[in-house]
Amino acid sequence: MNLRIEALAEATCVIPQGRMDFDAAPAFQEAVERLLSGAGKPAAVIIDGAALEYVSSAGLRAVLLGARAAQRAGIPFALCALQPAVREVFDLSGFSRIIPVHPDRATALAKAQPGRA
Amino acid sequence: MEAEASQLAVLNRHLRESWTAAGLAPTGLPSFELALEEIFMNIVMHGARPGTTARVEVAVSFSPEAVTLVVEDDGPQFDPLSLPPPDLTASLESRRIGGLGVYLVREVMDEVSYLRIAERNQLRMRKRLRG
Repeated sequence: MNLRIEALAEATCVIPQGRMDFDAAPAFQEAVERLLSGAGKPAAVIIDGAALEYVSSAGLRAVLLGARAAQRAGIPFALCALQPAVREVFDLSGFSRIIPVHPDRATALAKAQPGRA
Repeated sequence: MEAEASQLAVLNRHLRESWTAAGLAPTGLPSFELALEEIFMNIVMHGARPGTTARVEVAVSFSPEAVTLVVEDDGPQFDPLSLPPPDLTASLESRRIGGLGVYLVREVMDEVSYLRIAERNQLRMRKRLRG
């Protein structure tokens, strides 16, 4: 899995590319934690899944821990643009009920501004 | 093979090659990749007696109606289907991860069954082909 990070005015986008399996999940988790704890905290964190092909329970765990850390830091956290096979895993696990999932990045950015649902 | 995390990539490659050789559409593959990772990694992490490494055998078979994945290991008796289901209604803060992998496997497969035979754990997973 490759990880790209794009810092925009409204949010910082994390873009995992490839497979988020047991092997790749720790790097994702560390990247999100670094974002949340570093200087210049992002206004929001958006995980853009457009290039994410696969996720297992290890990947779900990393996303959950990231979402939880963001909640504690008071930073909005959302997912967007999930491919169908990945979306299915988020739906089955119930995670798409506790973490916002948006159809595309534009919607996620629009909804990510603090104070808006 | 030895139940070591590094072997998952090898198993995945075999699965993908068998899938392609069987002439199946790629849309059905992710469910089996998921089942393979969840079950194999459970054995890697929890499936051996202390100080030992479990041995695992994986077989995938194709029929016109369904694909069957069988994972066997020589670790202590353990039925993953005995794990309680995760609480899917828990909040973000209180949500636990344990048991989620096996739950996902049960959801994406049509049939999952466990047998203890000849000192081995055998998990059989079957999913019908659609379309």
